Parts: sequence; structure tokens; C-alpha cells
Amino acid sequence: MQAAFLEKLRGIVGAPHLLTGVELSPYVVEGRTPEAAVFPGTVEEVRSVVALAAESEVPVIPWGGGTAAALGTPPPRVGLVLGLSRLDKILEHEPGDLTVTVQAGRTVAALQSALGRQWLSLDPPDPARATIGGVIAANASGPRRQLYGTARDLLIGVTVVTADGTLVRGGGKVVKNVAGYDLPKLFVGSCGTLGVIVEVTVKLRPRPDDERLVALPFDRLKDAGAAVRAVMGSDLIPNAIELLDAEALRALGLLGAPAALVVGFDGLAEQVSWQIRELGRLVGGDGAPEPRAVSADVWGRLAASAAQAFAAPAAVMRLCVLPTQVADVMAQATSVARARGLACAWHAHAGVGVMTGALASGDARPDTGAVGDVLREWRALARGGAGSAAIESAPLAVKDAAGVWDDAGAAGRIMQRIKRELDPKNILNPGRFVAGI
Amino acid sequence: MTTLAADRKRAVRTELEAMLGRGAVLSDPDELLTYESDGLTLFRALADFVVFPQNVEQVSQVVKLANREGLPFVARGAGTGLSGGCLPAEGGLVISLMRMNKVLEVDYDNQLAVVEPGLVNLHLSWKVGPQGYYYAPDPSSQQACTIGGNIANNSGGPHTLKYGVTTNHVLGLEVVMPDGEIVWLGGKTRESQGYDLVGVFVGSEGTFGIATKIVVRILKKPQAVKTVLAVFDEVDQASAAVSEIIARGLVPAAVEMIDQLTIGAVEDAFGCGYPRDAAAALLVEMDGLQIGMDEQAQRIEAACRESGARDVRTAKDEAERQLLWKGRKSAFGAYGRVSPAYMVMDGVIPRTKLPFVLKRVNEIVGTHGLRVGNVFHAGDGNLHPNILYDPRKPGEEARVVAAGAEIMKVCADVGGSISGEHGIGLEKADFMPFIFSPADLAFMAQLKHAFNPDGRCNPGKVFPTRKSCGEAGAVAYKPHAIEEQGLAQRF
Repeated sequence: MQAAFLEKLRGIVGAPHLLTGVELSPYVVEGRTPEAAVFPGTVEEVRSVVALAAESEVPVIPWGGGTAAALGTPPPRVGLVLGLSRLDKILEHEPGDLTVTVQAGRTVAALQSALGRQWLSLDPPDPARATIGGVIAANASGPRRQLYGTARDLLIGVTVVTADGTLVRGGGKVVKNVAGYDLPKLFVGSCGTLGVIVEVTVKLRPRPDDERLVALPFDRLKDAGAAVRAVMGSDLIPNAIELLDAEALRALGLLGAPAALVVGFDGLAEQVSWQIRELGRLVGGDGAPEPRAVSADVWGRLAASAAQAFAAPAAVMRLCVLPTQVADVMAQATSVARARGLACAWHAHAGVGVMTGALASGDARPDTGAVGDVLREWRALARGGAGSAAIESAPLAVKDAAGVWDDAGAAGRIMQRIKRELDPKNILNPGRFVAGI
Repeated sequence: MTTLAADRKRAVRTELEAMLGRGAVLSDPDELLTYESDGLTLFRALADFVVFPQNVEQVSQVVKLANREGLPFVARGAGTGLSGGCLPAEGGLVISLMRMNKVLEVDYDNQLAVVEPGLVNLHLSWKVGPQGYYYAPDPSSQQACTIGGNIANNSGGPHTLKYGVTTNHVLGLEVVMPDGEIVWLGGKTRESQGYDLVGVFVGSEGTFGIATKIVVRILKKPQAVKTVLAVFDEVDQASAAVSEIIARGLVPAAVEMIDQLTIGAVEDAFGCGYPRDAAAALLVEMDGLQIGMDEQAQRIEAACRESGARDVRTAKDEAERQLLWKGRKSAFGAYGRVSPAYMVMDGVIPRTKLPFVLKRVNEIVGTHGLRVGNVFHAGDGNLHPNILYDPRKPGEEARVVAAGAEIMKVCADVGGSISGEHGIGLEKADFMPFIFSPADLAFMAQLKHAFNPDGRCNPGKVFPTRKSCGEAGAVAYKPHAIEEQGLAQRF
């Protein structure tokens, strides 16, 4: 990166907000150190930085809390990390409208704590680090998606800086809006490849009077799967239906069982109590003991429980299948790993069919070939369940061996066309996304 | 006006008939008249052909033929749209999907259904109802409108306050792209790889391609439903009650407001039990678990009373509940009792701005010497002012259009939107600059270009094309052919 370019960046954001050299270690992507990191303090500064990078054809990597930095194909060039952490203000919160407009760099935890008796019904892992812009860009979610959906269901307005530094707004500030194309949807899960999210408006909900989490142990995954089906077909309205295997349960310090369902309920206290009793009856029959209560601090650790089952997982993969397939896929995937001499741990948002599997070997250096083979077989299992699978994190060699993203099919060509239209110079997080984007 | 020479038109018709079968192609001007407008009869245009394909391959072949001939084309469902979104360009093809109306698959365990685009919205709920399921998006036209049309417009309805709009219920789409290629976007699972093309396609008003299969979520019917009617002597009190309900941490399934003029019309037509002397009534519905329902109803009632409601009552049985909803859902039809015609507007505002905006709407309409009835989704701030007028009186329609533009401007100025569920279509294309900058619109145009590079798929919609707002006022109303025969009314 040329000195003149750095000088111009410094001119835009001020010297304290431009990092170079050894200061860049927290921003390493896939083992590669970026050429610089810049932290604009205003939306105007973001525009100037992106326009300058576009003019100089330097790739820009938008960066929130860095919690999803391991996601994606290794980039060909790690140019300029564009940190949004200084854009962290709440711009407008009108409780009567149940909406909040916030700058993208505010952490989810800092946002939630400013909302009083309301909350954003999105519970991604690591909320103290994850920024709201990053969560939307990576489409991160948590257990409560069972009832409240994901970023696509909550984001109603988005402001982005496009690949040439233009400011573009999509959606709006009202909860119902069909004027123009649904740009908020375009940016959910786009991993920074179409624009730098600088401001978002999201829908809020009132905090429920009560919320509780309970666990039900099972001797076999199959029975746990049948219980998921029974719960989904019942009158119960759980806000989370999580299926964990023995390893994930161990990571959470929960019960010692081959499998367990962890189910959440919210609402009025009497509604929560009634549903917990009903859950016990539904799964265990009349006279069954009430499901045991789980401490509230487990909520935030559920989604990462599989990955945290091992000190150094050899790979973490996310599979999306039909809800009825979850328990079967989990059982088969475990057999596949064991057949290769590898251990694995599983967690699933079972009611929506989103599963995370972590692989590990007893050896200090896992066999890349075996890990890659298992991941490929896991992906085949996901496809058999009408779904797809992508690597969440893995060493470079494993990513190379198994491929990070699943095949997007013919839709991938439309995605490529969108990318070419909106980022013709290919400077926004290039080479890391689906279909080679 | 037609874009094809007579001999070429004959040749194309022969080819279309060979492709789709005789009886699946209309080109007689009398037959085409039915397809010259949607529910908004202010705009009309004649196609060269209306075709009725029966499967995705036929849709693809028709689209490829249109491309080869350089003809514009537009997909059409039931034609209940209210923004002129499915109007043909002058000439070209209307591709009616009404013969593709099957439920292809229902998977109760995974709570999804695969349907064809011509399926009537309500028919899906009928189909899955016996198993205890329903399809949540419920536009007021749900007895006639199609799921494919709902996809194009991202349709809403009264119950979107709690359950979201169409896009929140769609998992996957089989689409015929504007070049004729058949592509799947999304699928049956909750997540798929890459950009959310399903989310981008839904609400694109037919400009990104034609959906030929749709995977939707179906929901378990709630265990219990409770409907409360609150009656107010002042509109402001009703508006305040909406905010008060939200402030108390309640998320009803629906909160609908009906004003005095509309109550009068509804009572004349159906006698649903709304008090005629009330300035406004709120219809509040809660659903969910049986347990706790009474407590929630009490909280709603308290919020209404403390906001000044003179009367609050809960529907005592399903029959009374249905009657209250009939009044709400039939309100548009009931305006026929008090006015020869009306134009329904669709704007969204932040809920907290309701008192101010309702006052402004009444002032604006009054200034133009017209009357307005309001019946709308108060819970999510989605207004439907219905401006009453007489199309036979010269100049009255132009005043309606001018008043409508001013109302849209007010919605935009308070931070709202110019459409909550009816779409932009032709009607509001020129209002887009009220809420979007030239850069915003240019970005959307680039996105459109990625899907529809030649612009043949539903041209002339969504983006501003005409010179200025209000000019459409020059268009004179004339009744639709089937209106003249007394077979249909505007709604």
C-alpha cells in the first residue's frame, strides 16, 4: 500500500484512527495481516474512505466486532480493514413506535441495554463484541429465532455506503413498507460484499414478563427428534427448541445424557408455567416429572456449545436442513466422524433446522484429509435433507479441501450479476463469499 | 395501440396456440378488455395477447418467445392489485397464472406448503385448516387474490402486526427469469447459500421475473382468539389507545381502526353492531394460548378505557367475532352505500404520529371539497384513507388524485412510507422521490438490471417515469367493462 494512500486516509479520519504495522494484529484475516485499518468517526468519513479505496482499487473489508472474521473463503488480498466501531450511537428510539435507528458499529449488548422495557428480539452469540451491523451482514442469530425469526424479519431500514462511496438508503423507519425494492433483505447475510452498512432501523418488542429455560434428557437422538416433532405440532409456543448431543451438553455443564432438548418459553408467568408442565406431559406422558429448570446464563452459550466442546476444533460446520431431519442427520454425521477416528459435538436450533457441528481429533495436528472428507460427507447429508452446509471456521487447508460454501446452483449466477452491477470494481470484501463473489 | 403488425400478430398467435393449446390465448380486443386494468381502474392499457400457461415450461417458452419478438410481458394473478402493478405495457403479453392454481405439497411436520402462483390466498388456509394449520398473510382481498400476486406485492393484511407480511412467510421460489431461464431461489429450508434472493424477489412487483412455484410457511392455528371492540367519541382518543396498548407491552394480532363515516356505511350495508354515533372504533384481536388470554384482554380493555373509550366489549362468541370482522373486511364494499366511487390510499406512518396525520388527512380532503372514510391497520400505522367522489362530476377525480398526492407527502414528511401493502405500480411511481433520493433509486435500478437487463419484464412500474406528480389527474375515469355490466365494483 502506497504511502500517499495512507496519507490520504490519515487526512480523512485523523492519525489516531488509522492503524498500520504491528497495531494490525487484532485484524488479521485467515492468517493474513491487512495493509491498514481505518476507523471513521462519521458516515461522511466512511464515504470518503470507500471512495478513496475504490479510486485506488484497494479491497475494503468492513469490520464490526470481528466475531465472524473466520467466515468465508480466504481473501486473495487483505487490503483495508474498515472498522465501524466509532459509529455506535443510537439515533432514534421512539418506544411507542417499537423501532430503533442505530449506527452499525454499536454492539448488540450496548443496544439492548439502552432499550428500557423493549428489546431487539435477536440473540446472536457474543453480543458484547458483535455489532448490530456485523450481525446483519453475517446474518447471525440465536435460539430465540424459533419464535422471533432472524435479521431478515427485524430489519426494516438500512443505510449503506456503496462501492463507489455513495450513500444509499433502503426500506424506511416504519414497520410495514413495500415502497421500492426490499434493500434491507439484500444486505442481510451479504457479508459486506455489496455495501458498508452504516445505519440500521430495526423492529423492537416489549420485554416479556417472564422467560424460562428447561431441559429434557433423552437416551437416543431419535427420541429427541420425535419430541421436537411433538412440540412443533402442539399448541405450545416455545421461543427456543434446541437439540444438543452429549458433547455439547458437557460443554455447557448441563446434564450427562446422550442427548437433550433445551426449550425456552416466554410471556406471562402463568403462561410459562403452564407450558413447562404441558411440555413434560407431552414428552413423558401423564405423570411425567416436570422438565428441569436450566439457569438463565445458558441462553447465551447455547449457540456456541458445539464449537466450545473442544479446546481447538478442527472445523466447525453449519448445516441447514428440514426440521424433521435434524436428529437423523445428527446421528448419521456423528457416525461418519467416528468412522474416521474423529470426535464431534452437535447443537441445533431444531425447530428451524439449523445445526452446528464441531469436529476434533485427539492428535495435536488433525489429519486435514480426514477432516475434509468428513465435512464433505456432512454436506452430502445436509443436501439429502433438502438443505445445504457451509464451513463456519476451519484452518486454510481444510477450507481448501472441503470448500467453504455450498453450491448456490443457478441462483449463484444471479448473485454474481448483482455483485457485478453493484460493485463493478470488486472492491467490497472480494473473493470471500458464495459463488466466488 | 399495438406494437405488432397484423401479419406478425397472426403468426405469434399461431405459435402461442401451438405452445399452449387453443383456448389458452386471447387476442380479440373485446376479450382483452377484462385485462386492461387491475383493481385501480384509473389506469388501463391493452395487451396484444393474454395467455394462460399451465406449467413452468410453458411460462418459460412464452417468455422466450416474448424476448425473441421484443415484446414486453407482465404476469397477472387475480387482478385485485390496487396500484396498476399488473397492467400491460401498451401491447405485449399478459401472462395469466390463473390456471396454475394447485397446492402441490403440504408438509405438516415441517410446517410448509408448495403451491402454484395462481392459488387463491384463502384456499390455502382452507386446504390446511382441517389439520389445524393456516397461512398467515391475510389481505382483505384474500377471497380472490392469488399467492403469486401476494409475492409480487409483498401483501399484508390485518394480522401482519404480530405475524409479519408475505415475505416473512416465504421460504423458496421457482422463478422464470426475464430471459426465460428457470431458477430456484431459496428452497424448503430456513437458510440457503448466498444473498437472500427470495427476500429481494418478494415485493419486486413482477419486475424481477415470474414465480411459478412458491414454498410458504404454514402456521399452527392459535389455541385461543379474543376480539375486543372499543368505542371512542374522539378520533384522538382511539389513536392514543393504540399507543397505550403498545406501551403496555402487548402485541395484539391485529389493531384496526374504523372511523365514523365508515361505521355508517358498514352499518347501512351489513348491520355489524358498530355504534353509528362513535367517532372511531378500534377492533383489537389477541391470539395465542388460552391461559393468560383473559389477563391480556383486561390489559387491552384498561388501555382503551384510560385513553377515553366510552365503551369496551369483548366478542362473546365466534359468531359475534365474525360479525365484527365482517364489518372491517367489507368496509370497502360498503362505501358503495355512501358514494358512487372512492379511491383507496395506502400510506404508512410511525404509530405515534397517528393523531397528527389523521387530522391532516381530513383537512386536505376537506380543502379539496371531498369526503374521506378511514379504515386501516392502526397497529402498524398503515393508513387507508378512502376518498369518496363522483366520477361523473367533471374535475372531481383530478381533485381526488391531487388530495392523494398531498396525503402521500404528509406520510413521507413524518418519516413514513408511500405504500404499506398495495405497492407502487404505476399509481405511485412518481411519488417515489418523496422518500427516496436519486442515489437510492439509481441503486434499485441497478438491482433491477441484474434480474431484468432488457427491461421487458413488467416495464414502466415502480420507478418514476412521468414528468411530475398530479398529472395523472388528467386521466378521466371510465367504468370497467364488467362494472358497466354490473358484474363487479371497484374495491
